Formats: sequence, C-alpha cells, structure tokens
Amino acid sequence: MYTYICENSIDGILTGVYDAYADRYPRNEIHLQAHEPDNLSLFTQYLPVKADHEKAVKVARTLKSRFGQEFYETIYQAAMSGEVKGKSTIDKADAIYGTISLALACGDGTKTLLSLGEPCVYRVFELCRATGKEAMHLLGFVRFQELENGILFSSIHPKHHVLPILGEHFSDRLPEENFMIYDETRQIAVLHPAHKSFFLADTDNLDVAQTKHFSAEEAHFQSLWITFFRNITIEARKNAGLQSQMIPKRFQRDVLEFQAS
Amino acid sequence: MELCIQSDLMEKLAILTDAAKYDVACTSSGVDRAGRGHGMGNALAPGICHSFAGDGRCISLLKILMTNHCIYNCAYCQNNCNNDLPRATFTPDEICTLVTQFYRRNYIEGLFLSSGIVDSPDRTMELLFQTLYLLRRRYDFNGYIHVKAIPGSSPQLLEYTGYLADRMSINLELPTAEGLRTLAPCKNRKTILRPMRQIQNGIQAGALLESHELSAPSSHSLSAAVRFAGIDPRQKRFVPAGQSTQMIIGATPENDYQIMKVTESLYDRFALKRVFFSTFVNLTGDDTLPAPAATPALLREHRLYQADWLLRYYHFRADELLDETRPDFNVYLDPKCDWALRHLELFPVEINRAAYQTLLRVPGIGYLSARRIVAARRTGLLDFEDLKKIGVVLKRALYFITCKGRMMYPVRIEEDYITRQLLTDKTQIPKEIRHAGYEQLSLFDTAFLGINQAV
Ligand code: SF4
Repeated sequence: MYTYICENSIDGILTGVYDAYADRYPRNEIHLQAHEPDNLSLFTQYLPVKADHEKAVKVARTLKSRFGQEFYETIYQAAMSGEVKGKSTIDKADAIYGTISLALACGDGTKTLLSLGEPCVYRVFELCRATGKEAMHLLGFVRFQELENGILFSSIHPKHHVLPILGEHFSDRLPEENFMIYDETRQIAVLHPAHKSFFLADTDNLDVAQTKHFSAEEAHFQSLWITFFRNITIEARKNAGLQSQMIPKRFQRDVLEFQAS
Repeated sequence: MELCIQSDLMEKLAILTDAAKYDVACTSSGVDRAGRGHGMGNALAPGICHSFAGDGRCISLLKILMTNHCIYNCAYCQNNCNNDLPRATFTPDEICTLVTQFYRRNYIEGLFLSSGIVDSPDRTMELLFQTLYLLRRRYDFNGYIHVKAIPGSSPQLLEYTGYLADRMSINLELPTAEGLRTLAPCKNRKTILRPMRQIQNGIQAGALLESHELSAPSSHSLSAAVRFAGIDPRQKRFVPAGQSTQMIIGATPENDYQIMKVTESLYDRFALKRVFFSTFVNLTGDDTLPAPAATPALLREHRLYQADWLLRYYHFRADELLDETRPDFNVYLDPKCDWALRHLELFPVEINRAAYQTLLRVPGIGYLSARRIVAARRTGLLDFEDLKKIGVVLKRALYFITCKGRMMYPVRIEEDYITRQLLTDKTQIPKEIRHAGYEQLSLFDTAFLGINQAV
C-alpha cells in the first residue's frame, strides 16, 4: 500500500494526484490523505507530498479540458471542505483522487459525477455540497463594520475554506470599497482594495485592536439596522425555534443583530 | 440637532417597518446581474437571505413603506385611514441612505418599497418612481429592487418605474372580486388587473426585443421612457425578475379550490413569477372580520404554498388537486400525498423505467431528485440505497415505488393503511408550524380526521 500525505489545500491535493499518477503504482494500492496518519500501518509506505503549484495547475487544466468546468469546480469546492477525515467516511483527498481516477479510466468522464453509487463520487458530492451551502449562507450572513479608516471589516468562523468564494462575490458587489473578511478559524483573510482584485493573505500582522475602532457613523447605522430587525417580526407569529433552525447558532456569533440583545 | 435628526429617522424606520411587515413577499430572486465596476450592487438569481426575523421569516430586502398615510380604507389593513396609529413619511433621500448604507454592510440584498396612497394613486407612484430614480442614478445602486405598482396610477409612470425595478407587484388583495367589493371598496378588480397586464406586456416586449439583439428600440412608448428617465434599455431591462402578487387568505370565505383556480389563472394568463398567500391577521380590531390567525390558519397557508409548488414545478393542474365536491385540502397531509392516495391505481411506479413526469408525481420525490434519478439510471440500475443518496424521502416514497420490480417492504397498497402510515410521519406538519406549538394530539385522532370515510 502507498499512502500519499498531502497538504490540506487544493494545490496540495492536486499535487498528490499528480505524483500518484507519475509514480505508477498499481491503482488499487494507492491512497491519498490530507492529514497526518493517526496510526502508522506496517504494510503501508507513506509518501509525503510537497505542494507544487505548477503540478496542481497541470492537473486542473486536464480536468477542465477533459471533463468540463463544472467537474473542476466540484473538485475544487470539495477540496475546500473543512471535513478532511471522518470516522466512517472516505478521506477528502482520497475521495477526490478516486473520483478523478474513475473519470480518467472511463470513456466519458464528464458523466462520472452522476455515479453517486460510487462511494468516492458520493463523498465528493457531499463535500462539495457542504462547502457550497456554507458559502451560500455566508453570502448573506457576513456583516461588515466600517472602521475609522473607512475599511469595511468582517470576521467569520466558517467550517470550510469559503474565503475565495466570498472574495469573488463581494469584490464584484462592492467594487469601490476597501474591505477585509477575516476567517478567524484559519487565520487568513481576503482583502479587497477599492477598484482592484482581491487576494488572500495570512493574518500574522493583523492589528486586532485596529479592527475595533469604528467610524463615527457606524453605531448609528447599526442601531438603525437593529430597529428594522426587531420591527419586521410579526409578534403573533414568534417562533424562536424556526429562527435558530434557519440561521444556526454557529453563524449567529458573527451576525450583528444576534449579538445585541 | 444632529441627534434629533438621527432619532427622527429611527422612529420613522420603526413605524414604516411595522407598517410593511405584513406584506409576505421578500425574496430577492429571479435575476442574475453582475456588478459594473462602479457604484455598488449585483444580483443572484436564487436570491440571498441575509437574516431571519423572530418569526423565522427570511429577511432579504429592506422592506418598508414610503409612507403609512393613506386615503383609502381597506378593512383588512392597519394603515387604513380610519385607524388611529402613528404615521410617518420617508423622504427619497432617507430611503436611499438606508438602502446603500445597509447594503454595503451586507445587511440586505436590496429594497422592497411599498406605500400607502398619498393624495392620489398617481402622486404616490410618482414618489416611488423618484425614489428609485435617485437610488439608481445618484446613488449608483445596482442591487435588487422590488417595488409595488399602485393600482389606478397612469400607465406611463408605471413604465418608467419598471425600467428601474427588478420586480414589480400589484396585490390582488383578495381572491375574488366579491371579497374586494366588501373589504376594499376603494379598489376594484379592473384597476388591479390592468397594470398587471401592462407589466406582463412590458416584460414580454422586452424579451422580444432582446431576442432580436436589441437594435434600436422600436416601440415609441419605450423611447418615451428612455427619453424621460435617461434609461438605456440595452443596459436595463423592464422588470427583469418578473412580477408577483399576493392575496389575503381567511378574511373572506373563499375555499381552497377557488384560491387555487385563481392562482392557476394568474400563472397562465398573466405569466406571474410568484403568487403569495398571506394569512389574514386582524390588526384593526374590526369585529366583523375573523379573529387573529391561529395555527390551523398557518397550516392552511402552508398547504396552499405546497399546492402552488405543484402547479409551478410539478405540472399539476388545480382541477386534479381539488374539485367542487372536495373544495379544501386535507390540512394533515401534504397535497401531493393526498393526491397520490386518491390515485393508488397509478402506483407503484418502477424507478428505473418511469418517465420524468411520472416520477415528479411520486410523494417523497422532489424535482431535483427526479432529475438526479433520470441522470443516474443511465449508468446503472438504481436501488433503494441509491435513492436515499439522491435525496428521495423514502419513508414517504416507499408506498409508491418499486426498484428492479421490488417494493422496499411488502406493503398493502390500500388507502386507509397508507394514509395512517403517512400520518404517523410527523414531518407531514412542517417544522415551523410544529415549533409554533401545533397540537400533535389531533393528528392521531383518526376518528376526527374521518379517515375511514372519505380521505
Ligand atoms: S390602499 Fe388599502 S391596503 Fe393599501 S395602505 Fe391604503 S388602506 Fe392599506
């Protein structure tokens, strides 16, 4: 058995796929995982993979040209999932590798994603759906606060690595704003300077104190919003259970109107 | 001074939110529009929910009235001129400030703007138009806008406004002309249906132009709008997210069959995107009207929405679901289960062979699942395990399907038996209504339901 240990990122996983193909070990003896092994097995050879952007791009290009953009996006979104390993589920990297090798092996790989009966395809489908769902939620639940220096700042605690999706959405939506969304769990941020493209950065140098200095108007608009939020409720139909079901508690901590009580 | 202005705006917002909250439509769906590199805003076809209110409803748009002053006296409406309550009016600039400042903080997806009638329908529509114009032009706002069209206002004003909005709606108010006459004597069916027709024609003309690559706009009314509002129809379509309407349920005695027939003809004849139902809440304390909405009324509303989905996505006709002899939905079952139980002769259907249209009619199979089934069975025969993964709700579907010729369990295909089984499934009553404290007990009281006789 050969197990490739990849870095938990799209580059890391796709490099793993590249290396696994380059090494030409028998297909059924290969596994990928995106985390350090828990218990080493005697009969397995562990192969550390060094993430290599060039190799990842080559794999990505092959996937897009042979199986279409949608196929690639599904793989990409699955790779961004924070559910790396589960007790009873296939490892994220292994599911991606398995799905790609199925697609490469059959005549028409564009249909591979429909074979939900295949465990690794189903796993990729689940991972992709979970990431997409959280990103969709956060497109709505992100709250910006205007800092003294005019920057719109937001901090979030997502399960999955959704910043690239958020960056794309908000830079299209707010082209004239300087904004920053800070993923506190992963300690990275997406930054968007007005009229430029967004980029990801780690936040070692983030001055947390500065993110608490709000502009003069900020408090005013926050209380206007909270006024709206309270008054839009139909009291006769109060339903806290439904509310928490629709906006789960784990999001509420970062959403302005659920903090003020 | 500054402070005084601020608290004044706060008070207006409180009053005009309160006044708008019974309007049910809040979706920001129906249009995909990329940002333009300046100003702010884009739109996503599925819409985005930004928050959920204390009643569990989605908050997507800043839903407000421009003013809650009104010269009319619709009996079901808290803003009616005979009602004694605090009144307020926004200036167009105040609305624009709220929208853009909320939008850049990502509180909202856009604006939902309605209004009481000030002076006349035309004057009111003009103010709405001005607000939208300012928001689009001066504030460079490219996000979602849903605006009410005021019945009885001039077609031209309506057209100008339509080029600035994404969605327009005119409330049908009550399911029948009769109901309208008794409860909203200032309105009539004609002044409601005429602008609805105009918007429909406008949308269709726009689509036609678009399909001809939109050279120069040919109809002269279009160029009037262009001249007046400085709108370039190549950039802005007329009501691109379509029109919707809503009607109040329970204030007048119409049955479900009448309501579904009206709904169907609104889709067929006016090409509406959505018909919303709003359970009547007695806000004016008028004791000739029904009492405040109780949970069974919400359950009825829920069944109407389910049936509405069956019309829009599942190719059902109102006449298949109900008829004169059976004019109301069984509130304890979802309308699709209810329909299937009355057509057991059509079941079970074989998952690996049944046509897409047939799959759509199976309880527990949604249209997404039906599509996935059709796609997945091309690569191999499906079994119950596969259906689970696809997202089929087996505990509902199992009475109506076979996989490879087998049913999941040996079940009797017999109406009473299946009905009772389906009723033990508590998801027949949606979570939101169970959360609201719906009495479980009556659900199992089969005698009360009269299962043995007629379900
Ligand atoms: S026209 Fe009728 S429904 Fe509209 S605000 Fe006035 S009273 Fe209310």
